[in-house]
Amino acid sequence: MAMLRTTNLTRRYGARLGVDRVNLAVDAGEVFGFLGPNGAGKTTTIRLLMGFLRPHAGQAEIGGLDCWRHSARLKRDVGYLPGDLRLYPWLTLTTATSIVSQTRGMNISARASELAERFELEPTLPVRKMSRGTRQKLGLVLAMAHRPRLLILDEPTSGLDPLMQSRLADLVREAAAAGAAVFFSSHTLSEVESLCDRVAIVRRGKVIVDESLDALRHRAPRVVELQYGDEHAASAAVLPDFLQVVERRGAVCRCELEGTTPPLVTWAYQQPLVDIRIGRPDLESVFHRLYHVGEEGT
Amino acid sequence: MRGLLQKTLRELWVSTLLIGLGLAGANMLLTFLIPKVQMQLGDVFERLPFAQTMMSALLGTEVGKELTARAMASVLWVHPIVLALVWTQAINLSTRVPAGEVDRGTIDFLLGLPVSRRLVYACEVVMLLATGVLVIAMGFAGHRAMAPVMPADMRPDLQSSLIIMANFYCLYLAVGGVGFLVSALCSHRGRAVAIVLALVLGSFLLNFAAQLWPPAQRVAFLGVLEYYRPALVLQSGEVPWSDMLVLLAIAAFALIAGGEVMARRSLCTT
Repeated sequence: MAMLRTTNLTRRYGARLGVDRVNLAVDAGEVFGFLGPNGAGKTTTIRLLMGFLRPHAGQAEIGGLDCWRHSARLKRDVGYLPGDLRLYPWLTLTTATSIVSQTRGMNISARASELAERFELEPTLPVRKMSRGTRQKLGLVLAMAHRPRLLILDEPTSGLDPLMQSRLADLVREAAAAGAAVFFSSHTLSEVESLCDRVAIVRRGKVIVDESLDALRHRAPRVVELQYGDEHAASAAVLPDFLQVVERRGAVCRCELEGTTPPLVTWAYQQPLVDIRIGRPDLESVFHRLYHVGEEGT
Repeated sequence: MRGLLQKTLRELWVSTLLIGLGLAGANMLLTFLIPKVQMQLGDVFERLPFAQTMMSALLGTEVGKELTARAMASVLWVHPIVLALVWTQAINLSTRVPAGEVDRGTIDFLLGLPVSRRLVYACEVVMLLATGVLVIAMGFAGHRAMAPVMPADMRPDLQSSLIIMANFYCLYLAVGGVGFLVSALCSHRGRAVAIVLALVLGSFLLNFAAQLWPPAQRVAFLGVLEYYRPALVLQSGEVPWSDMLVLLAIAAFALIAGGEVMARRSLCTT
């Protein structure tokens, strides 16, 4: 059974659509990337999952419980980091740990201290004196300290320096390895690519793709640079259908490869090439393409 | 619930203590000054007949040329400073959840914890009840500390004083209850405070106008101060059951309605 599931989840803001018939499922042990530009509906989806917003249609469930009706109960197993984290100015890690421990009915102080150490967080520094990144670290500690079965992180790396981003990535991987489901919302492709097993792309409130990263990589074109002996040879070259020219510059012809590499290798063997460079699958261009298709569809 | 109470207490203890001390200080000062004012009141009424009407308006009941010493003592509990302090406590506390939490953006963190909205609301209501007792008790203590300087015929007896305190507490609950209802409907604390403040000021002015302008008397029942008349309690010594029940009914209705609204509406940082 999926740890998190939404079925035709819909939420409007007056005449404006927040999310429209969103269907998602995240299993235990999976790191699920939820990708989209600002205003695409990522935070609205998360707020529906957390039971802050009531859906106008459809349903969201966590651990088999309805997110609106059983919001308090299901949040025992959920760790949540809001996208725009704001905390009480007087809060310190110590006071927060005490309040959250009492609220959750479990002592989280040992795990919170361990996480704070990994994030290099001072236990007695109040929020009013914290930088944005430090506040984010406190939010992450509080979201993870009770070892939740589901982690919902809304743009968790914002404000974090690269070192802390890497520590967060380690913690996310550890949580998934321990069996937790991770719902990782972001608008940055690279962090989703490095962390997630599967990704859904949301655009204007609609999920336009929901696939494993491996499947997306198979669909992703590779950039191929063909170097000929001279400019004349490069311009005279006739390319096969699976190579689309991006640009020709001097003796170099830059193309996108569609499909797998063996046909390219076979074809290249017969060409007057000096060199050939094959890049990694370019997910960026897949996402751009998907967005473009989505835009045409609306 | 303990965690939530700890958080609320942490945020409220300073303001509650300051308001309580302010009320105690104001009551000490008024208890000290009222006998001196009362001695000159007869002359003032002779020279300025309008002052007598103003005094009636303030006490919410008709006063004769010879204002009794006991009735005069009730000024202590209807003085605008005293009312303002108690209302400040009620409004400050009642507009924190959900309007205050939404406004400052902390509602996402608060509701991210495994607590129901009803529990969050209930904790705030418990704090309203508890801090109201504390603040009014501190005010009462301030009055009792200075009471020995009052002439014996003016000094309210303990029983009447406690009845007035109970009535005052009901008034505080009614204002707080309305504050919770308004807060449950708002996403901006400033707006919630402005609405509740407008309602209590309107009530104060209505009560005042009802003594000066007969048409206002017909709608005076709409104001909460119509159900809080310490002068009558001091004169009769009777418990104003009907007034207190009306105030408690307003409080109960508004608190329950506020809780229901909060439980059912969508809530998140705007």
